[in-house]
Amino acid sequence: MARAAHAGCLAALLAWALPASAALRIEVESAGLSPTELDASRTLAMAALDLLPPAFRARLDQRVHLAWRDDLGTGVHGRARGDRIALDRALLAGWIAGSRDPDAAADHRPALAALLHELAHVYDRAHGHALSRDPRLLDLAGWPVRPLRLGLRTRRNDFHDRSPDRYELASPREFVAVNLEHFLLDPGYACRRPALHRHFAALFGGSPAAGSCAGPGLAFVAAGEGGEALRLLALEPGRVQSVEYLLAEANARPMSRWGHGMLRLVVCAPGRPRGHDCRFDLEHHLVLSFRAFVDDVQVSSWRGLTGAYPSRLFVLPLGQVVDEYTKVELRGLRSIPLRLDEAEVGSLLERAAQVHWSYDGRYRFVDNNCAVEAWTLLQAGVPRLARAQLRSITPNGLLRRLERAGIADPSVLDDAAVAVRDGYRFDSQERHFQAMLDVARADLPLPAREARTWLAMDPVARAPWLAQGNLRATAAFLLLEQAAVRREQAAIREALKQRFLRAGRRDEALVAAGAALHALLGDGALAGRPALLLPAAGYGLPQADEQGLLAEAVAVEDRRLQGLHASLQAEARRAVAPSRQARLDAAEANLAHLGTRLRVMAQGGDDDAAAPY
Amino acid sequence: MIRTLSILALFLCTMAAAHAGSFAGTSGGASSAGSSASSGSTSGDDKVVLAARDDAAAFVASDGRIHGARLEAALRHLRATDPGAGDASDLQLARAILAR
Repeated sequence: MARAAHAGCLAALLAWALPASAALRIEVESAGLSPTELDASRTLAMAALDLLPPAFRARLDQRVHLAWRDDLGTGVHGRARGDRIALDRALLAGWIAGSRDPDAAADHRPALAALLHELAHVYDRAHGHALSRDPRLLDLAGWPVRPLRLGLRTRRNDFHDRSPDRYELASPREFVAVNLEHFLLDPGYACRRPALHRHFAALFGGSPAAGSCAGPGLAFVAAGEGGEALRLLALEPGRVQSVEYLLAEANARPMSRWGHGMLRLVVCAPGRPRGHDCRFDLEHHLVLSFRAFVDDVQVSSWRGLTGAYPSRLFVLPLGQVVDEYTKVELRGLRSIPLRLDEAEVGSLLERAAQVHWSYDGRYRFVDNNCAVEAWTLLQAGVPRLARAQLRSITPNGLLRRLERAGIADPSVLDDAAVAVRDGYRFDSQERHFQAMLDVARADLPLPAREARTWLAMDPVARAPWLAQGNLRATAAFLLLEQAAVRREQAAIREALKQRFLRAGRRDEALVAAGAALHALLGDGALAGRPALLLPAAGYGLPQADEQGLLAEAVAVEDRRLQGLHASLQAEARRAVAPSRQARLDAAEANLAHLGTRLRVMAQGGDDDAAAPY
Repeated sequence: MIRTLSILALFLCTMAAAHAGSFAGTSGGASSAGSSASSGSTSGDDKVVLAARDDAAAFVASDGRIHGARLEAALRHLRATDPGAGDASDLQLARAILAR
């Protein structure tokens, strides 16, 4: 309904508002507009009011003036000061063209988006910035509370990837305005940023109709297994039985002193109903791990302290993580279930996906390490946890606090044997080395009493003993010889690293290896930024139209990365000193013989338990 | 293939990130060479059993004292899918896993 202009107003200002029942009114300043333009401006205002949720209009009980300007500056679409909104005049032409010609419908949107954006600012300001200061919004947007800062939040937002509009990162106020645009205009918003969509819908008591989302699974680009480098996963939250805090305990190395904190997802095998049995579907379990991505050979503590390394969320198969820690790094793992209900698990996973696709943070050893990142993920994913006093800057400190707050349940470790059997603990293999050697020594007069001595022997000198033991001794030898192979590999690695650091680019044998290494380390996909695999058009969680592209991109990257691995390996091999290589070859030959011998012995009947069932 | 890859992966692991491990290095040690000799292709079923080989060796060597989660997963899998495994003891099944 059009109303007559107030008698005291200039004739140039034509007051006009729709719909009459709403509290918010938009009045178009008519100065300098042709009748067509004025008409189009009113249609635009009406379209914006139509899109705004009733609660928004009702709570913004005021008149807003809309004017078109051509002096806003390059790239600026609009500005809101007090109750006056100025929009870039160029948008008006697009709006008119879009209204007339269905082919130009794409031109339609910028004017509407700009107006909604500015109205969001007006609303936010009118309510004392209640939208942009809302702690839940700040958690979701990516301005988390930092430890050691008395509850202050970060000043930068590191959710750079797959943003609908990088301007949202400028400040929480702009974040609100940009996201309300998309909330109101984009039917895909509910799928791409589901948590924010729910947040706004709850605030305003409803939302525009949403499109249907991509399948039931959340897309993650995970590390592959075996020879595979990358793998695309569709994680169905309904298959996740529990989320556990996975703590890698310290070993002798100083960098490991505070442990490493991760999250383990106990995923049920397809078709298995959720329940305790899912604990044993180990090959489906995943680990979410924030890691400093170090794109150089030597880790610099200075760079680690000052935030020069990216911190990103990696998704890894549990088996790989268990092997890496318990067999390679010789560190134990504790996996402590978190008391979360099914809905909380769902929102936590959704948050993890959001972080996976968008987050590219800075690792700082003190205040943005894996524990801080894990805590930030937990509180953004599960709002209930944001109220618990959990902030801790070390991984084992975080676990203690989770336990004290009753969120983590350490009672699973009470019975040590059950904890190991049920996968609440994974012991470092080193813990068993001496026991294994003692088993073999009970059968054979070995020349070494201590596991350490045995493993340091020349593999050729161990070989004759390996061919003699009974079944138990042979099984023990197998585990020890695996450890020996890893030791030889570690020695080669260390020697190459030292040589690389000393001679670097002058060492011809290492130039090619160095190049391949840097190619691998600089690789986006490997570096935990899956967003680089997709074209820049989409934002948030990948949707149906992107999943095909994604599957293809992951397959291509996987092949390329495998090639890079292979060439790096070939170059590295060439650079290894022959004596070291000989030791490794001998240990591997021992292991192969042991494998065969054990297979034959286990089949055969050397004692009562002989016959396979 | 697996053997050579694992060397590279280990090489990368330290190179890439000494304190936190690295994405590239995470396959380090995953291929227990002792178990790789049998067959090239592994079905989903075999995977559970193959993955339990190290645990089975520790179980047999320790006479049942060390009972890891991968072994438990394989035992449950065998008992659920193999009719002959129902009456067998853990030790017998662990030996059967080593015999594969």
